[in-house]
Amino acid sequence: MVAPLYTTASGLLFHAGKILVLTVGLPARGKTHISRALERYLRWTGVKTQVVSLGDYRRKVIGSAQNLPSDYFTLGDKSPETVALRQKVSDGCEQLIWDFFNAQGQVVIYDANNGTRERRQDIAERFSAAGIHVIILESLCDDEDIILANIRSVKISSPDYRSWDPNKAVEDYYRRIRDHEVHYEPVEETDFPFIRIKNVGEQIMVNNIRGYLQSRIVFFLMNIHNRFRTIYFARSGQSLIEHSYKADSDLSPAGWEYAERLKDFVLERRAKSFEQRGIDPSTRKLVIWTSARRRSHHSAWPFLTTGPDDPSPPAKVKVMERPQMSEINPGVWDGLTPDEVRKYYPDEWNRFVKDPYAYRAPRAESYHDLCVRLEPTLIELERQKEDLLIIGHASVIRCILAYLIGLPASEIPAIEVARGDLVEVVPTSYGVFSQAYHFWDGPGRSGDGGGTDERNFYENYAEDTKGKRRSEIDENEVAPAAVAAI
Amino acid sequence: MQTNAEQSSSPPSSPQLSPRDLAHVDGALHMHTIDDSSLQARPAPFAAGGTRLKEFDQSAVSSRIPSGTATPPISVVGIGNKVAKPDYSEAKIVVATVGLPARGKSYLSNKLMRYLKWLEYDVKVFNVGQLRRSRARQLALTTGQRGSHNADYFSHQNAEATKLRDKLAEDSLEMLIQWLKDGGNVGIHDATNSTRSRRQKIERRVAKEKGIVVIFLESVCDDPAVIAANVALKVSSGDPDYKDMSPEMAKADFLRRIKAYESVYETITEPHLSYLKIINVGNQVTMNHIRGYLQSRIAFYLMNLHLKPRSIFMSRHGESQYNVEGKIGGDSPLSKRGMAYARALPALITDNIGDAELTVWTSTLQRTIQTAQLLTYNKLTWKSLDELDAGVCDGMTYEEIEQAYPEDFANRDEDKFNYRYRGGESYRDVVVRLEPVIMELERQENILIIGHQAILRCLYAYFHNLTQADLPYIKIPLHTVIKLTPKAYGCDEERYTLPIQAVDTHRPKPRATKQPDDIPQTTSRREYYADPIVA
Repeated sequence: MVAPLYTTASGLLFHAGKILVLTVGLPARGKTHISRALERYLRWTGVKTQVVSLGDYRRKVIGSAQNLPSDYFTLGDKSPETVALRQKVSDGCEQLIWDFFNAQGQVVIYDANNGTRERRQDIAERFSAAGIHVIILESLCDDEDIILANIRSVKISSPDYRSWDPNKAVEDYYRRIRDHEVHYEPVEETDFPFIRIKNVGEQIMVNNIRGYLQSRIVFFLMNIHNRFRTIYFARSGQSLIEHSYKADSDLSPAGWEYAERLKDFVLERRAKSFEQRGIDPSTRKLVIWTSARRRSHHSAWPFLTTGPDDPSPPAKVKVMERPQMSEINPGVWDGLTPDEVRKYYPDEWNRFVKDPYAYRAPRAESYHDLCVRLEPTLIELERQKEDLLIIGHASVIRCILAYLIGLPASEIPAIEVARGDLVEVVPTSYGVFSQAYHFWDGPGRSGDGGGTDERNFYENYAEDTKGKRRSEIDENEVAPAAVAAI
Repeated sequence: MQTNAEQSSSPPSSPQLSPRDLAHVDGALHMHTIDDSSLQARPAPFAAGGTRLKEFDQSAVSSRIPSGTATPPISVVGIGNKVAKPDYSEAKIVVATVGLPARGKSYLSNKLMRYLKWLEYDVKVFNVGQLRRSRARQLALTTGQRGSHNADYFSHQNAEATKLRDKLAEDSLEMLIQWLKDGGNVGIHDATNSTRSRRQKIERRVAKEKGIVVIFLESVCDDPAVIAANVALKVSSGDPDYKDMSPEMAKADFLRRIKAYESVYETITEPHLSYLKIINVGNQVTMNHIRGYLQSRIAFYLMNLHLKPRSIFMSRHGESQYNVEGKIGGDSPLSKRGMAYARALPALITDNIGDAELTVWTSTLQRTIQTAQLLTYNKLTWKSLDELDAGVCDGMTYEEIEQAYPEDFANRDEDKFNYRYRGGESYRDVVVRLEPVIMELERQENILIIGHQAILRCLYAYFHNLTQADLPYIKIPLHTVIKLTPKAYGCDEERYTLPIQAVDTHRPKPRATKQPDDIPQTTSRREYYADPIVA
């Protein structure tokens, strides 16, 4: 039951206190990927979370690898200058952590190697003494392919290796790993709770984890992976009664055309993407999620058959209906135009316009309600290893995109999702890469003037308020609601 | 709690009014404006009442163009349709329990079974103890021979008995695997499985089956109070193993049995096994090699359980205006009698619970908020607790629906759990939406839920392990508080009906042979046999 919104007087949620997650692992073991994913998820649940990355901090204060003394990454005897430099970086990072906790932050994920027992003990004891729960998160990896892929895709593109020859950079990075390996001590101590993840989620071992927030962290980590995949989003086609939620009407003729065009375009895009990345298409499946609403499910209908002449279901495509993904319920405003709502529900309208994320019209769902409803779907989205196409409703796509991109809750209702665009999202270590491709211009495309779309403003809030996007609310300005945290 | 959006949406300029006050004001305003003549001009919502829906469906049929696909989708008509159960056939898991006697293995197995069955997985517990007792009983019935199952039988020095026990465990596992092959999803092998060699046997046996995986579920308990309570429950609950013994003797024998197991017990440390180790339920969990969606769900569920004594109170809202009029759905205020119930409720709850802490959960609909308004406990509003959405039929009476859409109406009666109202929900949709509520309920202590008929049916079915077919016919009368107290093997139930009249909104299944009164009464008693008596 989580979704972004809630603040409490203490800034903490779930009676979980403050938590420091200390990552442990050799370089290129996916620590950053895991840290960023966890940060995004916890922020989505409303928990104030921050990743503090030792590597990023070091690059910020002393610059990239070229500026470092040669013994910086070798863990043997170092010159006094190097020792002092390393200490400075480490102290600086710790200060960042303290600062965040002092500013009402709840969870810090300290993304660093923390490879020796002594170092972990040292940090953990210091924070533990201040009443902060310390969890050790060890990331192991014995799959050479994952490590190499990680080095190639992430590490050598880091500023440390700017203008290096890629192969030399890889070689240098391996040297860095080997130096660490000599001194690496896997987590065997049990003084602090720990989570051990092998091959980014393939296996997970947990010890001494307590309480709701911690078990939620584990549940999330159990479900992530770092296999390359693409998530596509498209709106459902135009339906016969666009502005009615209850009618659950079928696609209009233009909607059916749209559905056919969508199929062709998605297949085309995927083929291009495979070619670009050198992926063998026969190794990849396409999973399609729709809601249980007819306009959404029927927009995936063409995917159920190979083609007009071949009724057999296409290989490697799976269509799933998920009732949790229905569009936002407009309640008593179902079927009304904005003018009608202003006329018949003036007070409700004003409250809605003030805070479209949190306001719930009579019998309707707020965007917050929708986020709560979609949360289990997000976990399944994380789990999904194959390419995923979500054919859905604007409101649903907004919430999921906001999660993936990491947008604040207040912006969700105003995210623009035009019918006729295919949004492509590729998760990477540091976040996601997203891009929209325009593929269709028929009736029902928002903004064409002829569509009946605009009547359904509750679902299509962004279209209705184009150019009026709310400025981001400063988190401190949100009045602490008297909500009991779990 | 992450549920009541209105709390944060209240404008900062009116801090004196609580969000609940605002909700009431809104409700009151609606009641006043409902007769406002300007509202008469409001466009009618798209609904099944009148002729609008039928006209639309007819015009839609003619305006459709065939899609390019060879199998066009079914055209959309009427007020809803049946929806098939999702395909779970790929899920095949053996859950093998590990632990000393009286450590709550059967408790965890039963909880897990109820949870997964509620989510429509096919789950069966194969309890080796039950099989042993059943076979012994069968033997006694056919030959008159009575085997002794005192502690000597469980001693690992007793070679002959050990062999018998091994055979029983193997037979039980074979039955389980066969059952999975026949279409089951999760088979729980409920036994002590206390040695490495026993676990290795299970692992090897399951590995022979393609598509079936095994996870071990170890329950470790070192809290003497919990063990003592479990032992006391065991010897006092009519275990046939102890039927000719005094409670003292039974207890002594059971403790000897535990000793016998302790002498050979090896906690799970095998690094390659997939396992979950639960230490003092609710305290600590260790997970190893938990892979797969269902496995991670199982782990998360078990992580959220606790054993603290508590009760869950459920009540429907007081009688509403719509109840009186026989209409379904809507967001109507309480009737006079409903208000009387809201006034009487606080005393009933206080009599029952005294000074203990309690949290009240309501839906976002005003009839539940009004019912809870005089309760002085901490209150939370959950959107997920809103009544089943009847879509286009919202606000109609059953008679109106039957008259306008006789076929659809009959269809729903035929298969109520699977029937989804057009533009609304099915009971299955509601179960899916309530799953996080169940997870939250498991984590909480005393809770009073002021809810709706369909919602409470779904929650009640979870606690009492009722089938999906029976679920939509569970009787949850108005003006009645149901108190559920979770026990080791189920829930104890008490009902308090307040003497305030209300309409009966229960619709029995028409023409059905099986009426709700025949719904098997579940108890919190432990089952000691694997099957009913075979004469």
